[in-house]
Amino acid sequence: MFNKYTPPFTINYKGHEISVEKEQGNLIYKRTCEYETIEKVLLGASGDFLINPIEPVNLPKPITSYLLIDFERPVMMGPGSKQKIYLTFPVEMGIFIIGGKGEHELIDMLTLNRSKYTLYGTPNRGIICRYWKSEVFASYPNLDTRYEGDIELDIINDTNHWIEVTKSVFNAFGMKIYYGNDRTSMRAFMRIVNRHLAETGFMTYTTTPEFRRSMELYTARKLMLSTIKGIMEHGI
Amino acid sequence: MNVTEMISSLQAVPGIVFSTVGAVLVLIIAIVIGKGLTIHLQRSLKDKIDKGHLDILLKVGYYGIITLAIVVFILPLTGIERSGILVTGGVLGIVIGFASQSIVGNLISGFFLIVERPIKIGDQINIANNVGFVEDINIFSTIIRTFDGLYMRIPNQTVFTSNITNYVANIARRFEYVVGIRYSDDADEAIRIIREIIDNEPFALNNPPAGVFVDTLGDNSVNIIVRIWAPITEWFEMKTRLLWVIKKTLEENGIQVPFPQRTVWFPGELQTKKLPAKGMDEFPEAEKGYPLVEETQGLPELHEGTTEGGKSK
Repeated sequence: MFNKYTPPFTINYKGHEISVEKEQGNLIYKRTCEYETIEKVLLGASGDFLINPIEPVNLPKPITSYLLIDFERPVMMGPGSKQKIYLTFPVEMGIFIIGGKGEHELIDMLTLNRSKYTLYGTPNRGIICRYWKSEVFASYPNLDTRYEGDIELDIINDTNHWIEVTKSVFNAFGMKIYYGNDRTSMRAFMRIVNRHLAETGFMTYTTTPEFRRSMELYTARKLMLSTIKGIMEHGI
Repeated sequence: MNVTEMISSLQAVPGIVFSTVGAVLVLIIAIVIGKGLTIHLQRSLKDKIDKGHLDILLKVGYYGIITLAIVVFILPLTGIERSGILVTGGVLGIVIGFASQSIVGNLISGFFLIVERPIKIGDQINIANNVGFVEDINIFSTIIRTFDGLYMRIPNQTVFTSNITNYVANIARRFEYVVGIRYSDDADEAIRIIREIIDNEPFALNNPPAGVFVDTLGDNSVNIIVRIWAPITEWFEMKTRLLWVIKKTLEENGIQVPFPQRTVWFPGELQTKKLPAKGMDEFPEAEKGYPLVEETQGLPELHEGTTEGGKSK
């Protein structure tokens, strides 16, 4: 599914049909599913199309850059310990057109998951986050990559106390998503500073032809005054 | 004026002209530099600072440069003592303060509005029942564009002394519906259906959780309160859409939203006769709006054990 496509092509994908047809020198992009039909005319376009996972904070429309993952079961961390766990995250797909000079432009997004948002913190000082509930795995879980990806999360407890972790908040600025034939993954850390404060961030994987890095929407261009870290100051 | 005085005044003219022209030139240069700085800041900071902060920064930069030019260059050029300005300014301030209290009041209110910042440009606000978007905050007045698209100028003193409701100051807010169902319907089932609708709504926030509960046993219906939290950018669209979705879904599941009605219990059987199958032309009184009863026997008879009020003895 996550691949490069040369028009004309048609993909049937879990109730979604994505097609690009040539018409009098233009390209017609069309996506249909049971609840909506999207059609766009790409004037004078001739490039390939790339479908890859994007930061899962965009649908039904982007109102935040934060993803909150709520743990099905809380995790207890001993003082000064570091543990690796695996979480899941919702997969959103971006459909890009690749221009003549290799530039990418997003033309559509879709997901097979139900979108839900939540408030982290208080109405006056908190942040709106995309909400996702995840089971906590000790090893890499085998997932249906059309729906879910995995986050390899290192939790570092820098305190002298046992800490119960029930959630993680990640900032889409800084997300690095990788995808292969049977895996969509991110690698992240969560550093616990005290009982109510933690910091999250992302790390890189080594890319191979079979395990590539996604085109990202939340890139350094918008980073001038935005931090790429997630600061959890309203509880963990 | 004798000839000597005329000559000496003529000799002084070039100096005055020179300083005046110099002052005007400096002012023009300061304005040009101020404008240039404003444009530069606007271009370079447009994507990095929100519009409200940027506007204030631009105004501070622009007027700061002009003030600096006046204090540093124009006053010495024109020979005006800065200390004298302060004294004069103080005296003038008192005079002007008395003479134009409302203007000064607006000015000071504008200053405090900019410092306190209860509202920002772009906010949706309600000031003294004037509702709309804040278009601009000037030193004397605040400009509002009402939801009807009207231009409204509110003096800053009014803004500062009125109750201000800022609808978008927080990132999330709650809205509420009252959904009435029939007494014969299952309220638990109605609550389950409403909760399911809310769960399927992306922007109905997971936390704080929605509240759905039976609130009152009303005259005509069992009233269920539905309270939903939503992001401040989405609540209005959701509020205007979701109530009808709830109504339709409840009806699809056999739960009716009743109209106001009243059940009247008569103490005895009404002594009326059914209408015979005749044409309406045989009942001219029906066309006049009279009761469609062929023959009435007066008020129903009272039976033993009842009173006129219908209560048992």
